[in-house]
Amino acid sequence: MSERAVTHPVPFPAFVLDKVLLGMPARAYAKSLFTNTNAIFAAILAIGFPTLAYRYWNGMGAVSNLSQTNPWGIWVSINILCGIALAAGGYTVAATVYVFGLKQYRPILRPAILTGFLGYVCAICGLIVELGQPWRLPYQLFLTPGTTAVMFEVGMCAFLYLIVLGLEIFPAGLEWLGLAKLRRFMGTLTIGIVIFGITLSTLHQASLGAFFLMTPGKVHPLWYSPFLHVFFFISSIGAGIGMIIFESAVSRRAFRDQLDPDAHVDIDALQLGLAKGGAVVLFALFFIRLQGLVASGRWDLLFTGWGAWFALEMLGFILAPSLLFAVAVRTKRASLARAAAVVTVLGVVLNRLNVSMIAYNWNVPDRYYPSLGEIVLTVLLLTCGVLAFRWIANRMPVHHEHPEWRGVH
Amino acid sequence: MHAHDILSPYATKGIEYLLAISYLLLFIPFWRFVQGGAAVKEHAFGFGWFQVPNGVHLHAGHAWARPEGGAVEVGLDDFAHKLVGPLETVRFPEIGAPVRQGQKAFTIVAGGQPLDVLSPVDGHVVALNEAVRAHPADALRDPYGAGWLMKVEPRWLTGNLKNLFSGDAARRFLDTAAGKLAQRLTPQLGVVLQDGGTPVHGIARALDEDHWDELARRFLEGK
Repeated sequence: MSERAVTHPVPFPAFVLDKVLLGMPARAYAKSLFTNTNAIFAAILAIGFPTLAYRYWNGMGAVSNLSQTNPWGIWVSINILCGIALAAGGYTVAATVYVFGLKQYRPILRPAILTGFLGYVCAICGLIVELGQPWRLPYQLFLTPGTTAVMFEVGMCAFLYLIVLGLEIFPAGLEWLGLAKLRRFMGTLTIGIVIFGITLSTLHQASLGAFFLMTPGKVHPLWYSPFLHVFFFISSIGAGIGMIIFESAVSRRAFRDQLDPDAHVDIDALQLGLAKGGAVVLFALFFIRLQGLVASGRWDLLFTGWGAWFALEMLGFILAPSLLFAVAVRTKRASLARAAAVVTVLGVVLNRLNVSMIAYNWNVPDRYYPSLGEIVLTVLLLTCGVLAFRWIANRMPVHHEHPEWRGVH
Repeated sequence: MHAHDILSPYATKGIEYLLAISYLLLFIPFWRFVQGGAAVKEHAFGFGWFQVPNGVHLHAGHAWARPEGGAVEVGLDDFAHKLVGPLETVRFPEIGAPVRQGQKAFTIVAGGQPLDVLSPVDGHVVALNEAVRAHPADALRDPYGAGWLMKVEPRWLTGNLKNLFSGDAARRFLDTAAGKLAQRLTPQLGVVLQDGGTPVHGIARALDEDHWDELARRFLEGK
């Protein structure tokens, strides 16, 4: 393998030219950045970073509508809850490849891991924005841990899983840098890291739902259940599957020059395989959610406005995509599977928003609505995640195998 | 407001049981619906020219590995043999020499050209096939049986096997390789396709007399 990168270090300017500037001279690279899409991203960053600075300089109250009554807003609902749910594709595909042995899904493993890693980074960044005293974050985990608290469990699991995801995507960086020995060592840790990651995901995906177990009076009865943690965990599997199908479809177009033309990856077949799993998971989730409704005994609420909204979520964003996935698999139509994946992702986002924001404090006069500042910072964090994904995918072997490490993982 | 208004426990439990049974009953037709539909069409280039028996694990460089007791038999797969044609020499490593997955294990010589073959596993060499050393061309007749080339005592077999193709994945891997060859087929080999016969041995030489070794080297390096 590539020992030459270790024994003959590349001069620094050549390293920057080759690895960072994609082999282009600096002027040419800078010129290539002037595109319409980058203009939109630049505008978001230009508005977002000053807003972020304003938030930290003047405090949360200066940019948000959060209050004692509504301490959690879209920073929690979208950045943390949705971000972590949609990052579940990492552990889902890792389990598929390494635990169930379905190696044909390997081409989509690294993109899934990278999506998961950046999803968790964005979630943690959202947390740091959302916390009133973010410098006290280590207290919860290490200095004064409340080991019987759900908050501690989520915090510790997310912290450890972020490290696990970083270790899973680390080999791609090592291949990019040509550090063969360390890369080979990381390969020996793969299965252990994957199993640890699956365990952690099971814990904290459920715990994010367990947060709301202690708020039966605040979450609308149609969404509240003693099984909220089960709903969150199972829906995270569906979210992961939907996100991976969606991400693989987008990446195949956006990063087509990164694909290996000799790899002959049948992405449609992989997406249909994932769709089969998605159909089963969502079908089961629908009935499990119905069980929660039966246990609550509040059938009468189905005939209210909230009931219609609940029915929309259940029928339109859980049962419908399950049936769409089923039809897609049966008729071998990958395009239908991709459409169902989008609906699934939207459904999980809707569910997280409902539980944590829309149907939360549903009967309190002082309802929460996100401020412009909160929306700006949410969009900023999501944009940074997308830009980071693009930077890494354009340079590192994410959508293709590194020629010197082909077949070795 | 009752956040958690429970009906009579018996009625509630009854409904829950009915719902669970309904789910199980509905899942059966649902699963049958999902599993139904037309069978997946085989890719057009899955000609089935090249074989891989059960129990054999293929490396991307077309070496194969088969665990046998405490050692691993290593050889060159059906595709590689047909690609390069009859072997003239095999330059084996020494007994006891270390081999690493993805790195050069031994060298075959065909048509006067040396071609390195990558090892499918990590370990050290414990045996060499002296029959093949004496008559290298015979390996072509039974590439997965008597045509084994060396035995390796593996260092980390479980991890190595995860990086190899086996079963359906191996068959797809060879189909893909066959597809790459099919794209290069010249009119001279068109008769083979029309007859439905298997390719002639030494396909690489038949495709490009002058640069066949470069073509073969690309496949044997797993590219």
